[in-house]
Amino acid sequence: MLKADSVTYIHGARTTDDLAKGSRADVPGVRDVSLTVERGAIIGLLGPNGSGKTTLLRVLAGVLAPTAGRVTLDGVNLASIARRERARRIAVVPQETHLAFDFSVREVVLMGRYPHLGAFELEGPHDLVVARDALAATGTEHLEHRPFATLSGGEKQRVVIASALAQQADLLLLDEPTASLDLGYQLAIASLVARLNRERGLTVVVATHDLNFAAGLCGSLVLLRGGTMLGSGPTAETLTAASIQALYDVDARVWFDQGAGRIAVLPIEKTRHV
Amino acid sequence: MIGCLDSRSLCRGRILAAVFVIALVAATGDRIAPIAAQRPPQRIVSLVPSVTEMLFLIDAGARVVGVSSFDHFPADVDRLPRVGALMDPDIEKILSLRPDLVITYGSQQDLATRLAKASVPVFSYRHGSLGDITVTLRELGRRLGSTSQAENVAGRIERSLDDIRRRVSIEARPRVLLVIGREPRSLRAINVGGGYGFLHDLLEVAGGTNVFADVKRESLLVSTETILSRAPDVILELHYTDTPSPTFVERERATWSVLSAVPAVKHGRVELLFGEELVLPGPRVVVTAAAFARVLHPSLMGR
Amino acid sequence: MSDVRRRLFGWTALLGAVALAAIVGAPLVGTTRINLARAFDSAVPFADNVDAQILFIARLPRVLAAALVGAALAAAGVVFQALLRNPLATPFTLGVSAGAALGAVLAISLKLQVSLWGVSAVTGASFAGSLGAVAIVYALARARHQGFSTNVLLLAGVTLNSFFSALILFVQYIADPNETVQTLRWLMGDLGVAGYGPILAALPPTIAAFVAFAWLPKTMNLLSLGADAAESRGVDVARAQRVAFFAASLATGAAVSLGGPIGFIGIIVPHLVRLLVGADHRIVLPAAALLGAAFLIGCDVVARLVMAPVELPVGIITSMIGGPFFLWLLVRQR
Repeated sequence: MLKADSVTYIHGARTTDDLAKGSRADVPGVRDVSLTVERGAIIGLLGPNGSGKTTLLRVLAGVLAPTAGRVTLDGVNLASIARRERARRIAVVPQETHLAFDFSVREVVLMGRYPHLGAFELEGPHDLVVARDALAATGTEHLEHRPFATLSGGEKQRVVIASALAQQADLLLLDEPTASLDLGYQLAIASLVARLNRERGLTVVVATHDLNFAAGLCGSLVLLRGGTMLGSGPTAETLTAASIQALYDVDARVWFDQGAGRIAVLPIEKTRHV
Repeated sequence: MIGCLDSRSLCRGRILAAVFVIALVAATGDRIAPIAAQRPPQRIVSLVPSVTEMLFLIDAGARVVGVSSFDHFPADVDRLPRVGALMDPDIEKILSLRPDLVITYGSQQDLATRLAKASVPVFSYRHGSLGDITVTLRELGRRLGSTSQAENVAGRIERSLDDIRRRVSIEARPRVLLVIGREPRSLRAINVGGGYGFLHDLLEVAGGTNVFADVKRESLLVSTETILSRAPDVILELHYTDTPSPTFVERERATWSVLSAVPAVKHGRVELLFGEELVLPGPRVVVTAAAFARVLHPSLMGR
Repeated sequence: MSDVRRRLFGWTALLGAVALAAIVGAPLVGTTRINLARAFDSAVPFADNVDAQILFIARLPRVLAAALVGAALAAAGVVFQALLRNPLATPFTLGVSAGAALGAVLAISLKLQVSLWGVSAVTGASFAGSLGAVAIVYALARARHQGFSTNVLLLAGVTLNSFFSALILFVQYIADPNETVQTLRWLMGDLGVAGYGPILAALPPTIAAFVAFAWLPKTMNLLSLGADAAESRGVDVARAQRVAFFAASLATGAAVSLGGPIGFIGIIVPHLVRLLVGADHRIVLPAAALLGAAFLIGCDVVARLVMAPVELPVGIITSMIGGPFFLWLLVRQR
């Protein structure tokens, strides 16, 4: 469904000549990443901070244009798809949402409907139905009339997911959805995304540095470090002690936990840099 | 020391005199300086253009060694060094001219203090009504030791003004709007003369009634509404530049035509006067008064 | 009818009625008592009708100017706040007004005499100054090839504000004292336009700005979520920011050229409107324009009456309201 072909993105570089000159060391870019997202899959972009996960996610979303290589959606170059059309097919949930003004939850979710509205068109009854449905799917109907700013971190994240769902896109991209959340909320988000994938066939790409979150949720992984891909494939094959060592310089135990029914990771000790 | 060792009584007298002088000096200590300066000032710096004119009129022009940036009259001042003005007096420049009298504005407190510290005498000028001009002249005369010249000039001014006052008194007094500033080619920011100050007094001398006589300020900004409601018979606009082209005059006069319900506009009595002396509360107020009177009472004063 | 539609119509109708009442009512109020019957008496030729001239030449242009400036500054305030994602932004934050002020101060101090299409030198120079400031700020914001950074924009605007303020002080210092009175008066903001010419001249840029404004509200809602969130919901963020910046600057430039830098309208009115109608820009923007018009008309009436016959510049009234307003906001925060 979504395919990245040798995608490279370097901040500040406009042409391939600029590429040769190198990038700004402090802002992560990505180099020569290729991946395929099948319909109905849940793919994790796994790597430490600064590995380029967020940048890659933004390129996949079409928010950033790749400096080299290309991204295609169902075979069509993403760059050639009009913005509003793209918004109806790809939805993004950013890591944090800071509202500049005091919108209500309902207004935030309804903003997900804008890609479906004409330039001066106002929301109609159908849009309200879709919005309520999105709220229900994320378990946030009771928050509909509350000001967004008064919500807890977990509630905010679920509302933002609801807003993305209201776009009725097939593909959902999430950037570090659990980064600032409590354990309980982390699990809630994981089970929510899994359920949406199961019940609605939502294709998901999630960028994360949380090993267990990725292990529990994602069917396959793309491992990133320093902007380059270290490996990719089904989770069971890709997430190994060796790959964790390569990604994080950390000794870890990886095993399939029968009771939980999923792969588990136990980090043990930081190894030295070679 | 005193040289009186020969005669005893003479010696006593001289000793007494010496003691007396020493006592006097001790007692009057720091007044020695002004006593020495009671000699009329010879090097005068003037920051006030109207006072500069006064100095020249009382034959003290030769003693002026520095003037303000805004001095233009008489022509002699053109060759004199400039020392700044109300907002930006250049104290170093002033002191470099070694003045023994500096004429400052009353509001230039800081300058006066600094000059006092440098032991330079200051003549502080505050202008208000028309009468203050001759008061200042006479005071200046006293300070300069030119009392008779000052009295001459002051007297002449007073008599000329009285003369005008008399001549126009036989006619009715028109209601006058005195415009001292506005945005060019428009009726915005109209600054008019209020019921206080030398311009208001000159208007009275010239046989007019200020429509804003009730507002006790020197100037105020008014709107077109207020002008319409006060309905002046004459609009007298002052411009502080040289007389420009006739097209300029016509264009500025035409700006008022939109307020046709104002009597002055309806009857074509919008008059513009030009000259840098119009804004100076100095000896040339006589010229200004005469100009006003000619505008307000053309049949009496001749054009 | 959806909730938004209902609220939009409701608030627009209400505030529209308020604005209309202000436009019709304000010319009837003033320091002079006028005889309305006589003013509208067609038997009296207009050229002789003092009451009619007070109404239609002295007061009405002033009220219309207040409506235009109030609407423009309030709307521009809303747009700048959305652009900079900060409710404390004002139309003057990015230096447009400083450019306009410099233009006006120069024109007054140089005693420029030209007049073009009924636009005085001061108004024309002021508008040119505002355009210059916009160009400089935009060029600075684009200097780094990352596109349009609102942070750089803010910094550029603040820099320009200080620099131009310094220049204005310098010009005032070296100018004639006569001209200083005029520049000080201009800088306080004044709506005594004395004629319809200046208003007509200010209309084209204001209308152009408002046409662009009509396109912005949904986009501004989305921008409030964040640039990426907006982009992923179909907004061309860079283009939207450019349109917002230029349109709001144009409206501000026109308003300041007409009435001088009248402060606080661009922040008080958007705040009040958000308290009344919520955060949805589709309602906030038109509501702010209407309330801004009514508000400034009201302030101008106060400015005309409070110290009659002396007329205060309206900027003084808005500033005197601004102080307590912010105090109240501060107290509310607790």
